[in-house]
Formats: sequence, structure tokens, C-alpha cells
Amino acid sequence: MSQNTPLPLRILWNAFFWTYERATWQYDLMVIAILAFVWLTPPSWLGDPMAGGSGPIGWILEQLR
Amino acid sequence: MTFTGLIGRICLFPLELIIKTSVALKIHPNILTFVGLLINVAAAWALAVGAFVPAGGIMIVGNIFDYIDGKVANELNAVSAFGGFWDSVIDRFSDLSLFIGLIYLYSSMHRTDYVIVAALTMMFAIMTSYTRARAESLIKKCKVGFMERPERIVLFMIGAFTNRMAAVLWVILVLSVFTVADRIIYTYRELREPQVAA
Repeated sequence: MSQNTPLPLRILWNAFFWTYERATWQYDLMVIAILAFVWLTPPSWLGDPMAGGSGPIGWILEQLR
Repeated sequence: MTFTGLIGRICLFPLELIIKTSVALKIHPNILTFVGLLINVAAAWALAVGAFVPAGGIMIVGNIFDYIDGKVANELNAVSAFGGFWDSVIDRFSDLSLFIGLIYLYSSMHRTDYVIVAALTMMFAIMTSYTRARAESLIKKCKVGFMERPERIVLFMIGAFTNRMAAVLWVILVLSVFTVADRIIYTYRELREPQVAA
């Protein structure tokens, strides 16, 4: 991807076409994003057949209601 | 040092101890690999009955065997081409057994949607390994894409211990699709380049 490509597009392309090694800051960032998705997404949004409760996001939404 | 690098170093301490014990007992690395598979089959059974936390614990034990076999082979000077082949084949059986455990669980719950999600994830997990193996028969190296086996296994454990398996399956599925696509694109580009004579 050329250097003239806008930064957001370059970030998206680098996330899609992953060439980073483990134990780099890019890898850590991806791990944080994955863990955030896994732990913060309310299980009901995904129709999880096993998980109970609404998860942290669901809890915050309940408190706001 | 990065966060994931630090975790790797902490985990290495007990593993070094197990490696030293296996070397002292002169256990053949191929046997360690096979024991790892048997333990993973037990983990798959635990997943199939919905016992996620025990499944996570069993997976940790199984993958210790999976990790140490190569190190033990080095220490015992028992590194062989067949050992590498055996390790790869057994890894695929271990991967497949875990997915079959989940497919059994979701089908017993009459959740066809998650049977499909688990089956697709299984397909792309296997294709992730296959695309690399096939690519590396044509080009020197094809190590692109995020979702490789260690990431998959750690995610499986996280899903099991925190009861968030559905989210984990979605993550593995989406990132495995990207990884397979990365490997196809990378191989296409590499093969398009003029080959340099050795």
C-alpha cells in the first residue's frame, strides 16, 4: 500500500493484511481489541447459548435506564 | 517489553521445569505429542457436555504437552522430519476434536445457528493451517495473518474460563477468514514475482 493512501485506510489495510510479529505493540493492541469484544459484548447480542448475564455493557445500559 | 511478551515470560518458568523433567525421564517427544492429543480429546468431551471451566483446565494441560514436545526433542537431540510432520498432523486432530465438542454441545441444545458458526470456524481454522502448508511448498515462508494456532488455543481457553465461547467463536471465525485471505494474497504476490535462481 502506497504512502499516499490516507492513514485510516492504511491502518485498516494493515489490520486486515496482518504481518506483525507477536510481542509488538500492534499485536498488543489487537489482543486488547479482541478481549474487549469478548468480555464487553453482552452475550444476548450474540445469542450466546451458554453465557448468562448481560455482561459489563449490558450492566451499564441497565443502570442508565 | 510488551504486555503479551511479559505474559509469555511468566508462563515460561513452569514450562521449563516440565521440559527438564521430561528430558530427565527421556520421554520421546512423539509420545508427548500424542498424549497432548488424548488430553485435548478429553477437553473436547468436557466442552461437549458444557463443562467449560474443566475444559479450559484440561486444555491448559494438553497444550503444555503440545508446547514442550519440540523443546524436549531439541534437548534429547531427537529432532526429526517425521517428528515435525507428526506434530502438525496431531495438532489438526486436536483442533478438530475441540470444534467437534462444541458442535455436539450446540446441536444437543438445538442451536443450529451456532452449529453452523462452529462448523465454519472449524473449516477456516483448518484452512489457515492448510494454506500456509501448501504455500510453503511453493514459496519460502507464508507467515502472515493474525489467527494462528496459539492465538486460537488461548482464545478457546479464555472462552471456556469466562463462559464467553460464542464471542470467541465469532472472533476466531472472522480473523481466520482474514488470515486465509492474507495467505492467498501473499502467495499470489510472491509467485507473481520473478523467481530468483538459487
